[in-house]
Amino acid sequence: MTTFLKITLELLEGFGKTCEIFFVTLALALPLGLVIAFGSMCRLRPVRAVVRAIVWVVRGTPLMLQIIVVFYGPSLIFGVYGFDRELAAIVAFVINYACYFSEIYRGGIQSVPVGQREAGQVLGMSKTQIFFRVTFMQMIKRIVAPMSNEIITLVKDTSLVRVISVVEIIMVAETSMRKGLIWPLFYTGVFYLLFVGLLTLLFRYAEKKLEYIKI
Amino acid sequence: MEYYHVEGFRKRFSETEVLKGIGFDLPKGKIMAIIGASGSGKTTLLRCLNFLEKPDEGKIYIDGALLFDAKARYSERELREKRLRSGLVFQSFNLFPHYRALKNISLAPELLARRHIRAYRKEQLEASRGEPFFARRKQVRRRTRAYAKELKETNRERAESLLAEVGLADKRDSYPHELSGGQQQRIAIARALALSPDVLCFDEPTSALDPELTAEVLGVIRRLKGQTMIIVTHEMSFAREVADYVLFMADGVVEEAGTPEEIFLHPKSEKTKAFLKCREENS
Ligand SMILES: Nc1ncnc2c1ncn2[C@@H]1O[C@H](COP(=O)(O)OP(=O)(O)O)[C@@H](O)[C@H]1O
Ligand SMILES: [Mg+2]
Repeated sequence: MTTFLKITLELLEGFGKTCEIFFVTLALALPLGLVIAFGSMCRLRPVRAVVRAIVWVVRGTPLMLQIIVVFYGPSLIFGVYGFDRELAAIVAFVINYACYFSEIYRGGIQSVPVGQREAGQVLGMSKTQIFFRVTFMQMIKRIVAPMSNEIITLVKDTSLVRVISVVEIIMVAETSMRKGLIWPLFYTGVFYLLFVGLLTLLFRYAEKKLEYIKI
Repeated sequence: MEYYHVEGFRKRFSETEVLKGIGFDLPKGKIMAIIGASGSGKTTLLRCLNFLEKPDEGKIYIDGALLFDAKARYSERELREKRLRSGLVFQSFNLFPHYRALKNISLAPELLARRHIRAYRKEQLEASRGEPFFARRKQVRRRTRAYAKELKETNRERAESLLAEVGLADKRDSYPHELSGGQQQRIAIARALALSPDVLCFDEPTSALDPELTAEVLGVIRRLKGQTMIIVTHEMSFAREVADYVLFMADGVVEEAGTPEEIFLHPKSEKTKAFLKCREENS
């Protein structure tokens, strides 16, 4: 019993790190994704091309590779050391997820009929007003489902930070495994399942809340 | 030159020239119907008149003053200002699906009011210059708040009276999808009227509607007395009944224009005759 309690507490601590990476990534990647989405729809061709190329590279290479590059890159290329591991992991996550989110945003924005924007224009609204007052909620309505998929994937992707030795829940379980205990590894699954279950409920609630918008 | 004067509108989409020099005059408070075959450029003309499309050439005068010249360069802000002078009711309504009927109507005036509020605040700050800092701030804030509240109230009342005008006072809290097509178009008309445009344009306002819903929308338009209007329509009988002037467009030019009697009873152009004959056979 005491082992169970001890392991639970250890895993909980590891899971704290998992949550930390999850929430910080989400908080930064959601707005950054919107900025990237605007960049990829920019009327200036060079801007659009550069942004789309970046998105292509980020989405086309493994997140694990990106984490490694962000952490070791600066020291190998510029000889700068002492880069914080967790910070590196978060930077990689934010860039990666912002790019994925940006594509979802772009799809959402572009699927709002042009007539909506034009109605706003004719009513003398500014571009910013049209985006926030007309397009935004319709976009949100359309992206809840793909966003929830992506966000649930993020929960599980956090386990990748171990490649640069940031200690999260699975790494904790692995430490016990080396001491001969196999069950903590399975036990980590419970944490993930509970967390993802909670998120699923949250998204279902959001979808329900958005039911009033019919498109 | 009449109240609303349009001259020399040209618009080319890559290969094809859609508008080939269109102009007309419309006195204040009068209604002009634009008729013409599909593809003759009617929608493009209305879109140019509302600056959704940039014409290659053309000028608009309102009340004798030049409002727009295609040759000039206008900033986004100036164009927005100019758009407020005219309104456009779309074929497909384009109501905002996430707002209730009342909000659909009051949204644009509310956003516009913000500008008035900012200007008012600035004015108040100017006027109270020299008074003690904190007292002055406090007073300006209080006055601005009162002014904002007043504007909000006025906007709401106006939106409600417009709802009543289009006969939908009881639908103020309905979302667009809860309304019939005819009701949606009536809300769209109220929404366009809320900004009190000098000229209100309609692009085939009833062509997306079933025949039984067409009547209620036309009824609403008929009752807008005193509003200068340009109505692109396929409803010949309606054009004949409400319009003061009729303009027949063909291939991007004004083929013939005149009073309803002139166009419908004594058309001069062969194209007009053919078009009207074809219409008659269809209906
Ligand atoms: N954005 C556009 N790009 C290219 N061609 C267009 C565009 N908009 C309209 N056109 C063309 O202009 C012509 C006139 O269209 P339109 O103004 O919609 O006519 P109407 O409303 O009288 O039916 C059509 O041949 C149409 O294909
Ligand atoms: Mg048309």
